This record gives sequence, C-alpha cells and structure tokens, in this order.
Amino acid sequence: MISVEHLQKSYGRRVALEEVTFTVPKGEIFGFVGPNGAGKTTTIRILATLSSADQGEATIGGIPVHEDPAEVRTLIGYMPDFFGVYDRLTSAEYLEFYAACHGVPRRKRRAVALELLELVDLSDRRDIQVDTLSRGMKQRLGLARALVHDPAVLLLDEPASGLDPRARIEMKELIRELRRMGKTILISSHILPELEELCTWVGFIDGGRMAASGPMAEVRDAVVSGRRLRIELADPSEEELVRVEEILRSDEGVLEVARLPDHLEVAVSERVVDDDLLALLVGRKVRVRSFAVIPGDLSEVFMRLTRDERS
Amino acid sequence: MTSLWRRFADGVENPIVVKEGISRMRTWRAPVVATIYLALIGGVGYAWLNIGAFDSYHPAAAQVGQQAFSAMTFFQLALVCLFSPALAAGAISGERERQTLDVLLVSRVTAFGIVWGKLVASMAYVLLLVLTALPLFAAVFLFGGVDFQQLVLTQLITVTTGLFLGSIAVFYSALFQRSLAATVTSYATTFVYAVGTALVGLIVGATESIRQASVAGPQFVVAGEWYLNPFFALASVLFPSVAPRTTLRGYLQVLFFGLPSSGSPAVGGPQVEPWAVCISFEAVLAVAAISAAVLLVRGRRAFGSRRRPAAALPAEAPSAEAT
Repeated sequence: MISVEHLQKSYGRRVALEEVTFTVPKGEIFGFVGPNGAGKTTTIRILATLSSADQGEATIGGIPVHEDPAEVRTLIGYMPDFFGVYDRLTSAEYLEFYAACHGVPRRKRRAVALELLELVDLSDRRDIQVDTLSRGMKQRLGLARALVHDPAVLLLDEPASGLDPRARIEMKELIRELRRMGKTILISSHILPELEELCTWVGFIDGGRMAASGPMAEVRDAVVSGRRLRIELADPSEEELVRVEEILRSDEGVLEVARLPDHLEVAVSERVVDDDLLALLVGRKVRVRSFAVIPGDLSEVFMRLTRDERS
Repeated sequence: MTSLWRRFADGVENPIVVKEGISRMRTWRAPVVATIYLALIGGVGYAWLNIGAFDSYHPAAAQVGQQAFSAMTFFQLALVCLFSPALAAGAISGERERQTLDVLLVSRVTAFGIVWGKLVASMAYVLLLVLTALPLFAAVFLFGGVDFQQLVLTQLITVTTGLFLGSIAVFYSALFQRSLAATVTSYATTFVYAVGTALVGLIVGATESIRQASVAGPQFVVAGEWYLNPFFALASVLFPSVAPRTTLRGYLQVLFFGLPSSGSPAVGGPQVEPWAVCISFEAVLAVAAISAAVLLVRGRRAFGSRRRPAAALPAEAPSAEAT
C-alpha cells in the first residue's frame, strides 16, 4: 500500500534522507522508528505531499506521490506531530470544517463528525471548544480529523508524544481499532515498547538511512543474534542457583549466565538446542519449574542497529 | 477547465470563509470593534453637523450636509486603512504559527481556495463595518448636498481600498513566517500608499508649479501620483473641481513625464474619472498580490521542484542495507 524506494532529500548542504526504502502492505501497522533528526518526519512529509524528494520514488496505493499529489491526498489521512487548533470552534464544528475541506458533501458532514467523535470517544465533548480540550483529547480529535474523508492510509507522526499513560493506552486501542477497520497505518515514534505492542511491521531509520525494515518478528530475529533464556528453579536457593550456573557454564554454547534473585537468565548462541540444554539440567537432577525463551525486544534491536550505523 | 471550475467552486463555497466567520464573530472583539467604529464615525458626523450649524456664516443645510458627509467619508477610509492590514496580516502566517497550515494543504482545498478564503473572511468583516455605517451616512444624506452617485462611489472607493490593502496583507502573510513581520510590512505599505503617494504628489506638483510659474504664474498642479491616492479619489468624487478628468494617455504622460511645457497633457481616447484611476490601480495590484500569495502557498506543497523524475535516474543509488 505504501512503497518508498531510494528516497533522497537534502536541505541545502544538510542531507535529511540519504537512502530510504521500505514497503508497507495493506492493512498493516508500520512502526517507523528512529532517533530525533533521523528523517522520520521528512519521509512522512514527502508521503503526505507536503514536500518533494530530490530523488527516489514514493507511492501510495500505487500512485506516485510526486506525479498525482491531489489523488494521493484523497487516500491519506495525515496527523502531524503537533496538534494545532482553531480558537472558538467546537469539536463537532472542527471536524465538520475539515470534512468540508476534504470535499465531504454538506449533508453528510454533521453525521461524519458525530460518528468520528463516537469512534474516538469524544461524543460528550462535541459542543466543547477545541482549545479547552486536554492534550490527550486533542490528539484523539486529531486522529478523528485525519479520518474525515475515510482514507485508506493513515500517516501518524508521533501520535502519542506528550500523552499521559491513560491517553497513550486509549490512543493505542484506537489505532488497533482502525487496523480492524482495514486501514494501513504508518506511525513514527521513538517510544519503542508501545510500537512493539502495536505494530506488525517495523522500519528503523538513522541518519537518513534505513537500517532495517520488514515484518516485526523477522527484523527482530535478523538483528538480535543469539537468544536469551529464562530458567526458573523449583528450589531457588542461593546454593542451587550457583550449582546450576556452573552446570550451564560447562556447556560451550552458553555465552553468559546472569544469576538473579529467583531465576537465571542465560544468553546462548544460535547453535544451542533448547531441548538439549534442558535435558542437561534434568540429567544433573536440577528441578526446573520453567524454561522459556525471552523474546528480543525492540529497544535492543534499535540499540544494535543505531550502534552499528554509528560505528 | 476543471481547474477553473474548481477555483470558481472554491471561491463560492469555501469552508475557510465559514470557519473564519464563526470564530471571528464568537469573540467579544467583533461587536466591540463595530461599536467603536460606528461611534467614531457617528461622532465625527455629529461634531461636523454641530460645527456647521453654529458657524457664523450660517451656511445652507446642503452645505453642512456635504461637509459632514465628506468628513465621515474621509474618516471611514482612514479607519478602513487601519483595520484592513490588522485583519488580514495574520491570515496565512497565523495558520503557520498554529501549525494548522500543513493539515489544510493535505486536504482538497486548493492554494487559491486557501488564499481567497482567508482574504474574503478578513474583508467580510470590513464590509460588515462599512455596511453597518451606511445608516449614519444615510442620515447625513438627508441634509442634501450629496447625490446618490457620490454615496455609492465613496463607499466603492472605501471597499476597494480595504480589499486592496487586505490583499497586500495576505501576500505578506504568505511571504513571512511570522504574523508580526507581516503586520509591520502591511502597515508600512499602507502608509506608503495612503500618505507616501500624497507626499510625492505634493513634491512633484510643487516642483511643476515652480517650473511653470515663469510661464503662467504660480498655480496648484495636480501631479500624477495624486490619482493613485484613495483620499484624493474620495476628494475627486466629493469635490469634482479638485481633480480634472483625464484620458489614460494623458494621465500616463503626467505620471511618468510630468506636465508638458504647454501646460496640458496630450489628449485622445475616452475620458477617465480620477477615482477610476485609483480603483483600477488598486484592483490590478490586488490581483497581483493575490496571485503571488497563491504561488507562495502552492510552493508549500513543494511539487514541481524535482530535478528529474526518478524513473530516469541511473541505478546509482545504494540499496537498502537490511530490508
């Protein structure tokens, strides 16, 4: 649904995008991850028809953004990283205004506004002036605004920045609901745990270059070499933990063992077979309560990728 | 054709006009400014009527009416010159400052729609002020001394000047990032237009007068710059003897080359009223300012600046690292 190929963009001498390539299939939530100044907003602005690339190609729904920006605008809903409001407009009027700007017929605008306020759980605020809403409510209203013309693609630039925990959870639920409605969503953020829970695809950008992109699990597995295991014992006494640590260290595939108060965390190389390691412990009369793989998290992937880029 | 139709549609049904109208009229400022505006114009008219009525010469009612009407008209134009830049200078830069311009640009509203909507929304308030003051002018109209054509023409000059100054302010608003810069330059332009043309007219006229004094004796010479001045345009409507009618060719000759030694410019072609010169000048500059503002706003979408299409590029771009 979204395709970006070899995108390059400079502002004078400063190179904002050096080499950006990724795709987002229809119906997926794509987490666009990178540190501040990495090129996330520049890429989103190009996709949103607000800026042009110096070189490369960006298409949405198969339409090249630079060739037919007007058509692309009908396909996208854009939510910038800052929520600007108009004074003295109620929430419903605010949405009706943008519905009019997107060419929604006059007779439908009120219904669209009320339906979207219901979706973002702001029905009770429909007659409240927008500038008096809390930041979380404004963000949700901003998302509703991006939906007034029922776009197939949503470009959300830092939608959860500055939100309190409750507002973040509400925003996350809302984005999941939008995916269920069939929307393709690109979210830029640097709040990694949230993206990890939310996104099905991910792309890492650093210094204007894509470091990796693809389905979340694939990228994670490709980047984080080796695995971490969590081993809980039936007898978590200090003596038993020390004994098990020694047993584990005797295996060549074990890279590192961390002894924590009630369990062990073990870094193993890719060639270690978990069943064999478990059999080793059981064979040495260790009573294992649980033996599980710790999934590599997005933060680790991000740190490794950005470290690699900088080195 | 589609583009033209789209522009026409944007001009007729423009959501920005509706939105701006709602937000503007919900403030306490709108009725307060209108009240002050009417009180000031009414006060000037009332004061002039009183001065005229108790004048030792006991002039006729028609003369008092004409003087009061003239004073109110000049004062109204001065107020419009003050209000128009203030109302329009934040039109586009304000959107940029609120960071709402990008969201508008991602919608279907065209650059022309945005500029036109902002201008109409700002000027609608000026038009409202002018309309609400009409009963005051009508009251003075009862004294006589002013005909209906003069009433219409003075209001036309006032509205056109407001629209012109608003267009200039919208242009600056699209040009500058900050509303403050747009406001300052708009007022500077207004000053140059309303006062500067008069000053230049006086200087040029005085120079001409001195030059011709040796031939025909000292006399007041109306320089070409005067015709551009909106206050002079009002004066030419209210006191037709102030400014002679001229032909376009004659006017251009006076404006650019001064009066010929014969004392009268070249004649030929249809006669042009002095006020028509002023509003034509304003209309042309307003169209230019609006067009420039549209181009500036369109530039925010930044398309058409690519050096060459991607398809034509050689395959020299490095491939993605780990996609």
